[in-house]
Amino acid sequence: MAVLIDQELCTGCKMCSDVCPVDAISGDAGKPQSIDENKCVLCGQCVQMCSSFASVFDEEIEPIEKKLSDRKMLKGIKEPLFAAYYDNNIHKVVDILNDKNQFSVVQCAPAVRVAIAEDFGMDLGSLTPGKMAAALRKLGFDRVYDTNFSADLTIMEEGTELIERVTKNEKLPMFTSCCPAWVKYMEQSHPEYLDHLSTCKSPQQMAGAIFKTYGAKLDNKSAKDIASVSIMPCTCKSFESERKEMNSSGERDVDVVLTTRELAYLIKEMDIDFVNLQEENFDQPLGNYTGAGNIFGVTGGVMEAAIRTGYELITNQPIDSVDVLAVRGNKNFSESIIKVGDLELKVAVVAGLKNVEPIIEAMKNGKADYHFVEVMTCPEGCISGGGQPKVLLPKHKPMAYENRISGTYQHDSESKLRKSHENPAIKKLYKDFLKNPLGHKSHELLHTKYYSRKDK
Amino acid sequence: MRNEISSFVIADPTKCVGCRTCELACFTVHNSKNETRYTVGTVKTPVIPRLFLVKDEDFAMPVQCRHCEDAPCANSCPVNAIKKADNAIVVDEKLCIGCKTCILACPFGALELLPEYNEAQEVQQYGLEEPKKIAYKCDLCSKMDGYACIEACPKDALSLVEPALDKKTKNLKAALSILETMKNL
Repeated sequence: MAVLIDQELCTGCKMCSDVCPVDAISGDAGKPQSIDENKCVLCGQCVQMCSSFASVFDEEIEPIEKKLSDRKMLKGIKEPLFAAYYDNNIHKVVDILNDKNQFSVVQCAPAVRVAIAEDFGMDLGSLTPGKMAAALRKLGFDRVYDTNFSADLTIMEEGTELIERVTKNEKLPMFTSCCPAWVKYMEQSHPEYLDHLSTCKSPQQMAGAIFKTYGAKLDNKSAKDIASVSIMPCTCKSFESERKEMNSSGERDVDVVLTTRELAYLIKEMDIDFVNLQEENFDQPLGNYTGAGNIFGVTGGVMEAAIRTGYELITNQPIDSVDVLAVRGNKNFSESIIKVGDLELKVAVVAGLKNVEPIIEAMKNGKADYHFVEVMTCPEGCISGGGQPKVLLPKHKPMAYENRISGTYQHDSESKLRKSHENPAIKKLYKDFLKNPLGHKSHELLHTKYYSRKDK
Repeated sequence: MRNEISSFVIADPTKCVGCRTCELACFTVHNSKNETRYTVGTVKTPVIPRLFLVKDEDFAMPVQCRHCEDAPCANSCPVNAIKKADNAIVVDEKLCIGCKTCILACPFGALELLPEYNEAQEVQQYGLEEPKKIAYKCDLCSKMDGYACIEACPKDALSLVEPALDKKTKNLKAALSILETMKNL
């Protein structure tokens, strides 16, 4: 997976380089731009921003059919092609679905269910988990599991890790590690602080490792029988799945990643009438989730989910208000103090990768006085990810984000269970398989290491 | 008689960066009948804008209709498909026969002849097995709120010129300038 700029289509308006959080895009104004692969964190914000489409008036450009094939897109796609794009993985999924010898499992990130319906003409931010699950089943996946389940699992591991670090007062502040673009950025720009990242894999990769081990056992399969697909709002998740260390099941944990837009292409290609689908449930037990897992899709969500569980693990008391409003909102940066028993937990939430630099600076000066910091590369968290449906009119972008966020919180508030540690499937997973958070099995499957990319 | 002069949209080439957002916005607001909604994924037809980016080595700017007061396109249309409505020169797509006379007549190149789409399907001619082509041009976003291209431009390079207002503003400026001069004499 790479994020690229089509040299024929780029007009050199530089809107992409304005939005790039790592200054990876360069070129003269008015001339085609290019992306420095080493600097690029694959967040895809340039893809969302680019408005330079292949025009029917451009007679000098290659035929659209050639461009579709170069971009590994399906032939039947009618939508316009833009200068900034990413290679599609869709053919790999078509192959998996056509191979009857493979047992196919799929997971969907929380932000996908509040956005995919937009590409079928529904309102911005329509909440459609049931239609999405139904569509995935119709496509032929043998198990329709959910990243929200593994988001709950992430909270168990990351919450426990945070408590341990706070108790020992070491490697603080601890940073979230679920955003792969943020992780890549740390590896290439600030490797000296890599031990501040939580060692937890992202929910996508935790799910991948669990599906091919515990999940395989549930269906009397082995890891090599399973093809694991994930649907993400993100253009960097494919990169994450390709990391060589992401093979704790003995096989590659997540085989193919599609973006929200790519899933929409596939649903259209298979002539599935998404809008009129009857809602269906996710498969159990690995598709069971709480409201806490669902809010991973918005900025502040991982923090809020961690607080809901961390509070109760530390104090053994139910939290006063499940809605931790102090960490919500779509600000670039916010900080708050959460009272957890006798502990005053100092937390910060960063949305938009550029906004993390003040914290890094503070760390250099020994002044980053936080216990836990959530960092998301995209401007309002995963709901604004590079792989989400691309909004046509600039004026609709704020509305899209707002509606996707409110849909996410609505789904949380309507959930019967809203705390990760109350998820019965998670409890059973620990009882039957993992034993304890941060235990031996967890370390093997759910935690990871980071590598400096500075010399490369 | 009231002197009603049509407004028109014009681009400032010193501000325009050539991003095509205006073309995309123009297409979007004119294609709800072709099922285009909020996202790129809902686009089922080629992007046909009604203003046209001109890009050279050193500059970029979209060109669009000036809504001429003695409109050569309307005056030359043999089937009277081009009319003045709500103070804008507009093409009646039902009447247009695609004869291209308007294209010959327009000194700005502000019209383009392209296939007509309805409900996301190419409209076919009755006799010939060919797509029906019609003239597309700026309609000043008639029957819509605001002007899609102006609103969408991220660099504020597009603006609506209202000639009567423009003249009055300039007159006032000139008068004030003369007043200042006289005071200081």
